Amino acid sequence: MFTLLPQLLINSLITGSIYALSAAGLALTFGVLRILNFAHGHIMMVGAYVYLFFLTRIESGLFLSALGSICFMSLLGVIFLKIFISPFSKSTLLPFVTTVALGAIIESIVSLIFGVNVQSFSSSYATESYEVAGIFITPIQILIIVSALILLFALGYVFHRTSLGLKIRAVAENASAAQALGISRRGIVTGAFIFSTVLAAYAGILVGYETNLQPTMGGAFSIKAFAAMVLGGLGNIWGTIAGAYILGLVENLSIGLDFWGYSLPSGYKDAFAFVIILIVLLLRPQGLFGSKGRAA
Amino acid sequence: MSALIEIITSDYGIHLGILICIYLILAQSLNLTFGLGRLFNLAHIASCAIGAYATALLSTEFNYNFFICLLASMVISGIFAVALGVISLRLKTDYFAIGTLAFSSVVGAVLINWREVTRGVLGIPGIPRPEISGIDFYQNINFLGLSLVLMLLVQVFFYFIQKGRFGRSLRALAEYEEAAMSLGRNTARIRNISFFISSVAAGMAGSLLAYYLNYIDPSSFSLTEMVFVLTIVIVGRPGSFWGMFAATLFIILLPESLRFLDISSSYLGQARQFLNAGILFLVVYWKRNSLFPEQRQV
Amino acid sequence: MLKVSDLEVSFDGNAVLNGLSLEIKEGETVGIIGPNGCGKTTFFNCVSGFVSAFAGKIVFKEKEIQTLSPSERANLGLGRVFQNFGIFREMSLLENLLLAIEGNRKGASKKELKEVANDYLKDIGLQSKINSKAGSLSGGQMRLLEIIRTLAFGAELFLLDEPTAGVSPKMKDDVAGIIKKLQQAGKTVLIIEHDINFIQKFCSRIIVFNEGVVVLDDTPEKVRNNQQLKEIYFGQSA
Repeated sequence: MFTLLPQLLINSLITGSIYALSAAGLALTFGVLRILNFAHGHIMMVGAYVYLFFLTRIESGLFLSALGSICFMSLLGVIFLKIFISPFSKSTLLPFVTTVALGAIIESIVSLIFGVNVQSFSSSYATESYEVAGIFITPIQILIIVSALILLFALGYVFHRTSLGLKIRAVAENASAAQALGISRRGIVTGAFIFSTVLAAYAGILVGYETNLQPTMGGAFSIKAFAAMVLGGLGNIWGTIAGAYILGLVENLSIGLDFWGYSLPSGYKDAFAFVIILIVLLLRPQGLFGSKGRAA
Repeated sequence: MSALIEIITSDYGIHLGILICIYLILAQSLNLTFGLGRLFNLAHIASCAIGAYATALLSTEFNYNFFICLLASMVISGIFAVALGVISLRLKTDYFAIGTLAFSSVVGAVLINWREVTRGVLGIPGIPRPEISGIDFYQNINFLGLSLVLMLLVQVFFYFIQKGRFGRSLRALAEYEEAAMSLGRNTARIRNISFFISSVAAGMAGSLLAYYLNYIDPSSFSLTEMVFVLTIVIVGRPGSFWGMFAATLFIILLPESLRFLDISSSYLGQARQFLNAGILFLVVYWKRNSLFPEQRQV
Repeated sequence: MLKVSDLEVSFDGNAVLNGLSLEIKEGETVGIIGPNGCGKTTFFNCVSGFVSAFAGKIVFKEKEIQTLSPSERANLGLGRVFQNFGIFREMSLLENLLLAIEGNRKGASKKELKEVANDYLKDIGLQSKINSKAGSLSGGQMRLLEIIRTLAFGAELFLLDEPTAGVSPKMKDDVAGIIKKLQQAGKTVLIIEHDINFIQKFCSRIIVFNEGVVVLDDTPEKVRNNQQLKEIYFGQSA
């Protein structure tokens, strides 16, 4: 029924890792700000293009380019937060509208600067693959899986074992009470958003190596991150991460699906995220791990 | 002044007039669900797409006439809205927005990938102009007349809906749903109906668009276009019937004025997107305190 | 008119209504008091239909209503006035009233409806503000508007949730006045209140809730002097 199952599972892990990094950032902002950042996917996209800029125009090498992108995106993240999100944080509807506008602004500017054509990062690290037990994997793909695990583990550690993590969780649960205890909501929110932006930028760079890059991809990435969140449960960061890996699994298995000779056109792969959202909202709006009453 | 009249009556002016009619239908219908009902329906453009594709297929594959295609487009869009409503309307704000977004994306994905029917990104060409009692609608001025008639009918319809009982009930439930229920309003049904009406109108707009362009492809119904219509509603003040007119004119004519500057046409699309999003943001920022008062609950 | 038996409601595992039972006869005016969190508003929400009960029955005008939706119950004559002002601030006073009266008078013209609305507004002295936005009213005026709107809607049972909350002392008399009007019209009125002095003026009975059940149900004088009540509110021992 499935062709090449082990390869598909590894591919799921790769895709899932990228989605997990992206979705974790989104879940973090949702946790502390209670808003859905529609421009999240666009931020991923910009992170990748900035990296491309450092790599091709400044020729600073892989590592420094990534560092450059991350530093630049941190700054950009603060700007986005202060202009497009903070002034509207008291409303439930407006931040969604402003982040949609932000996404469109980002998309148009990047298109004007870099053009609308598809770009790809070429590197021997991305093309030369090793073969291990019948499975093909490239160095970058190994990096993706490993770095995701490290970063998510680090996130978990900070969240649950440090005082910073405690402060973040306090603000996420009840911002007023946290402030009454002297925790700076603004500081926590800014820090969380910067971290979310950095994760998104990194995930965007990985996407550039895994598939390719186009300025119009922002929307689809945002929706995929939303799908992971909806699947896992909107308030739940670990549920979201689990949801991201599940999404990766579903997408990759769908390509390998082989029902008696019928296989799904690969173009529909992206649509799985959308369909998952609808199914979850229909059957269990609070997601796999969320609490009832939040959704419907 | 005479130059202005010259522009208005030129081919270019007629073209703009037709576009304005189509967008006015889209804006006024979105105004019902989003402006009055405060439902952030991002799938509105998908209703339009369905109407457009329905007309395209029925007129090219089956040679049905204008009235049948138009009606079919409206009905099919309406059915789409019912399906959308089943999933989305019981959800709260954030989830509702995601739900409509996902629905819209599924429609987009189907339009692009179901090549046997929609021809994917190649689109459907060769859509004929309507044939009604011998009038040559290939003459744009005649098509403008048709558009104006349909647009005015839609506007009158929505005017009476907004000012009457239904509009009042919708506004009440958008502000304080339980209070509306305690006055005997079946709020779920009212939402469903508003969705349906709005979608039917969007289907009509889509049908008109297909007949005008004689060709449609998925790119006409992207998220960018949805943001365009959303901007019109917000700029024109959500809930305001007359506001939609000025806002449509403004939002359509402003990017068009870019043509008169020396911007290469390949950049026009991005410039339009940037300008539109910028206006959207600025208006939302400026009016952020009055735009959407928080919904109250028990 | 209203009979509630063994109502059980819980949120997140916490029981809010623990087998609550009471009965209200037509035309009575009954006050409901009790410490915060004892389930008064939840009781109203349950009767109105916004909260569903685990167990128990609600009978309104001899009909079991626990399976009906809130709007269906409203259409049977079950009125509700909300603690946080259920008027529509974005609409004018006229529109607020139209919402209440247009359902019952399908054939009437806009002009006739407007006259009816004006008459109702005269009863509360606000006819001059008929076209003003309801949000511009004071707390007391909003309360009056909501009550008269519920009357115009045709409700027979009135669930008033803390009608003096957010109302200036001067306007409390006006609120009392309109409650008396409801009584004169033969309506059945249930009032949740903290201000015992306010409600004892017109209630024939006062029901005391505590921890999700009825603990006392008697005339105002007897309730005031009741030892158990003092314990509940002030924690004094006998």
